[in-house]
Amino acid sequence: MAFQEKSAWIMSISLLASGIFYFTTVISMSGSGQLVPPNVPVLIVYTVILTVIVVIGHIVIALSALSEANAKLDERERRIFDRAGHLSGNVFGVGIIASLLLFLLTRNGDLLFYTAFGSLILGQLLEYLMQIFFYRASAV
Amino acid sequence: MADQLPIANKVRELRESNALMTQSELGKAIGVTRQTVAAIEQRRYSPTLETAFRIARVFGVGIEDVFVWDEPCLSEPDR
Repeated sequence: MAFQEKSAWIMSISLLASGIFYFTTVISMSGSGQLVPPNVPVLIVYTVILTVIVVIGHIVIALSALSEANAKLDERERRIFDRAGHLSGNVFGVGIIASLLLFLLTRNGDLLFYTAFGSLILGQLLEYLMQIFFYRASAV
Repeated sequence: MADQLPIANKVRELRESNALMTQSELGKAIGVTRQTVAAIEQRRYSPTLETAFRIARVFGVGIEDVFVWDEPCLSEPDR
């Protein structure tokens, strides 16, 4: 497995784990039908979880293949990254537009924060999953 | 199974006939990863023209001896 594919697995798992933590915490803190305002300590814990998994994961895979870790992307990997990034950007854009439309309808700033933040996580997660897909299954 | 691209190649045959050169060795010689060489051999990736020439130069043959257009008959344009 290529270093960049291993990296994409780590990023996917860390984004999924930290995203699930963040939104389950927000849901559990929210009362009946009332969304809790964005909370800085929860966001800090989310960031710490994400950073710790990503750093430890990358140290482990880099130690197992030092030369690959230092290598530049080759032409196929650049194409994979471009295609995955393009799709991810589209999903993020649609998510942001949907968030803004939702805000215009509800005038709820807290909801705008969560939907925009969720779009960011979803877009990034999709980028790494598409990288894995292009590495493993698809002709590029 | 992944779709195959229309450009067929003889990279594996040439590699094996050249003192059993490995995918990693070929990758190092042309500046791509082992995984990219594998993808080229499996027709899951068509290399750039520059890399195609680099592959041909490694084996000391012409580019047309390595890569050929192999589009299925069904997708040929009407005459």
